Order: sequence, then structure tokens, then C-alpha cells
Amino acid sequence: MSPRSARTGLRWGWVASMGGALALVGFVGYAQWNGSLARVQFTTSVQQAGAHAVLGLEQEQTELRAQIEAAEAEVQRFQESSTTSSAALAQLNEQLAAARLAAGLTRMRGPGVVIEIADSNRIVPAGENPANFIVLVDDLRDIVAALWASGAEGIAINGERLVATSSIYGVGASVLVNTAFLSPPFRVEAIGADGLLDRFMLDAAFRGRVGQRVELFGLEFATANRLEIELPAFIGNTRFRWAVPSEQVQ
Amino acid sequence: MRGRTAQFSLVAVAMVIGLLAVGQLRSQARPAEVTRLSAQELSTLIETLTQRNRELRTGLADIREQVREYTLLGSQGQSAIDVSREDLRRITAFAALAPVEGQGIVMIVDGDLDAIALNDLINELRNAGAEAIAVDEVRVTVRSVAIQGALSLQVDGVAIAKRFSLRAIGSPEGLLAAVERPGGIISQLKLFVSATIQVRQSESVQLPATAVSLAPTVGEAGE
Repeated sequence: MSPRSARTGLRWGWVASMGGALALVGFVGYAQWNGSLARVQFTTSVQQAGAHAVLGLEQEQTELRAQIEAAEAEVQRFQESSTTSSAALAQLNEQLAAARLAAGLTRMRGPGVVIEIADSNRIVPAGENPANFIVLVDDLRDIVAALWASGAEGIAINGERLVATSSIYGVGASVLVNTAFLSPPFRVEAIGADGLLDRFMLDAAFRGRVGQRVELFGLEFATANRLEIELPAFIGNTRFRWAVPSEQVQ
Repeated sequence: MRGRTAQFSLVAVAMVIGLLAVGQLRSQARPAEVTRLSAQELSTLIETLTQRNRELRTGLADIREQVREYTLLGSQGQSAIDVSREDLRRITAFAALAPVEGQGIVMIVDGDLDAIALNDLINELRNAGAEAIAVDEVRVTVRSVAIQGALSLQVDGVAIAKRFSLRAIGSPEGLLAAVERPGGIISQLKLFVSATIQVRQSESVQLPATAVSLAPTVGEAGE
């Protein structure tokens, strides 16, 4: 190749690189404008006010939960540091620790599985229902049901520990677990004996709906066994207003 | 000289791309997620979050009262043990390890309900604020889930007949309104299952403790 044709080749390469970069700038710029505040102005003022209120309530909830966590820790410190040394007290503290563990009020660690699910990356074909391509609240409920049925001993979704009063509730395409408003991707962590993932994948609750939706609509789905995971403790209200223990615990 | 100009141009383009990419990622974060909800969805979400925050505030007040009791008692003597014993009663009731009683609702279901429908009913009751639930005499724990057995539905290994009761303790009015609201769980189930569901408020609902051990076999308390 002559020096002249080599220079011409370099120039064309340079032009192609700059062209590519500028095209990328244009694309990102368009996407940026498309999701910019200016565009959000087009949403109704009712929606803006509502979104603002939701963010405020979430902030308030974060603060309340932090305060509850601190107060619960203080209660446990009092219980563990009691100066009355007796067999009865030791037994009581053991029972409290066991009850807290069973109830999901303390962290739990052990072998388990991690399951992640997120909206499909596929382009929604014309005439298809877009809801088919996003993670629905039923998907999470099915995953959780399949995990319990497979012998899970503790479960958390995006860091929200499930307890006896937990619900998984859908608001539009978003999900409320306990008191927290969660968005995809969803990370479900579960502790359970060896073979938990195999049992889960074969369970009817998984295969019935969500397993099929993963196949049909390409919901992003991944699983992994873990030798050790740690689930957070539940943080929320554990004081009953209506239910009263009807027998003294011995 | 020409090479230097090219380098500057590339750096400038890269910076612009970086700035735009960061802006794009930020604009796709949570606030945009919330603004994508419809006005009706936002209204439901605000109502739910407000209610949950109210419950959290009440719970926080109760814990602080407990801390105050311990502080007054100075962690010493029989009185402190009594407070701890009361705490144990509370936690075992919460975990379904102890029987409980109180006001609530009783649902009588008769027909062909599948496992998904029963799990949805339980989830709906929990979401409406039920503090304790039982299917017939099976107390629902965190791990309880309805499955389709060989012959019938099962909860915690116990067969559930086609006619069964679902009892929940909580605000009778709140629970009833939640399950009976237009478009609510009962009206939805009527579209998909062949079953009758009768609901009534009850002044006294008594629920047993779970018969299942909730002590983990491989899980242990974390640090």
C-alpha cells in the first residue's frame, strides 16, 4: 500500500470513528431529552403532586424504620444485660432468641439460593399486551410460594424479610412488600437445606405461571446456589392491636 | 498539531457522552418510576403508604414504652423478667407459635378453590391488616403455603376439604371492606373459580398455635 492510500485509509477511519461517536451523542441526547424534567412537565400536575407525596412518605418510612431498629436493639440490650442471674432468666433469654429467629425478627444466615427476576428486554410486538413483558406481583408471589413449599426457612425480597404478617401487594407495575415500595429487578434470597433450588425449579407454583412467563416473554431470570447468605431482620410493627395471646407461654 | 486537535476533539466528545449518559441514568431512577404510575395508582399507593407509616408510628411508640419500662426497672429483679416474659408472649403470638384471640372475620369457602386462589386470599387478608390467620384449624405462619395435594388442597401438610373456614383477627370492618370491595379478591375469584364465599364479622375469633416447628434446621442467627 502506498503512503497516500494509507493516509486516505486513516482519514476514513477517523471520519468513521467521529461519525460513530457523534451518532452516539445524538442518540443519548435524544434519550436524555426524552426522559428529562422538561418532558416530565407533560405529566399532569395531579401525578406530579402524587409522586412527590409518595417520595415524601417513603422518606418518612425510612426514618421510622431506622428508629424502630434502634429501639428494638435497645430492648434486646436491656434483656441481655439484665443483672439478675438465674436459670430462669437464662432460659427466658434463650426462648426469646429462638422465638425471634423463628419469627424473622433477627438476621438469619445459612446456605441458600438467590433468584433474580426483572422485566423482559424484548421489544413488545405489535398487538401484544405490554404487561406480559414486565414482572408482575403474581410472579413474586409464585416464587415465594414455591420457595416455602420447597422447604425455605427464611426469605427476603430486595432486603425485605418476610414474616407472618407480610403481604406482597401490587400497585400498578410496582410492588409493596411489608411497608416498602419495591421496583424491579427483584432479588429473592432464601435460606434452606441442600437441594432447595432443584426443588424450587420443579415446584408446581414456579412451573405453573412464572416459569412459563419467563419462557414465553423473556423475563430476565437467574438463579444461583450460595453456600452462605445472610437475610436481614424484619423491621416494622410487631405489636398486635387486635390479637391477644390466649395462653401463657411457659 | 493535527493529532493534538484530534485528541482534544475526542476528549470533548467523550465528556459530552459521559455527561449525557449520567443524566440519562439519573432520569431513569426512582422518581421517574413513580411518575410513570397513573393518578389512580398513585392515590392507592399514597393511601397504602400512609396507613403503613401510621402502623409503624404506633409500633414505634409501643417499643419506646417498653424501653421506658426497662429503664425505670433498671434491668433488675423480677419485674424486668416479667417485662421480658411479656415480650416472649408477644413474639410467639406474632410468629404463630402461640394461640391468639380477638375480633375479626370468618369466611366460609365452599367449592373448587385452587392453591393460587387460597394463597391470594391469605395474602389479601395480610395486606388488609390481619394479624393472625387460620385455615380451618391450621394456623398460618410465615412459611405456610397452600399446595395442591394428590386429593385436595393442603396447608402445612393438612388436607383442606372443599368446604373450609378462613378466620382472621384484625379490624372487622377493615378486613370485611378489603375482601368485599368492588373489584376486590372475592369479586375477582368469582370470575375464575366455582365456589361460594361467605364472610361475616366476629366478636371473638380464636386461633390455635401452629403445629409445625418453625425452628430452622440449617439457618442460624446472624451476627
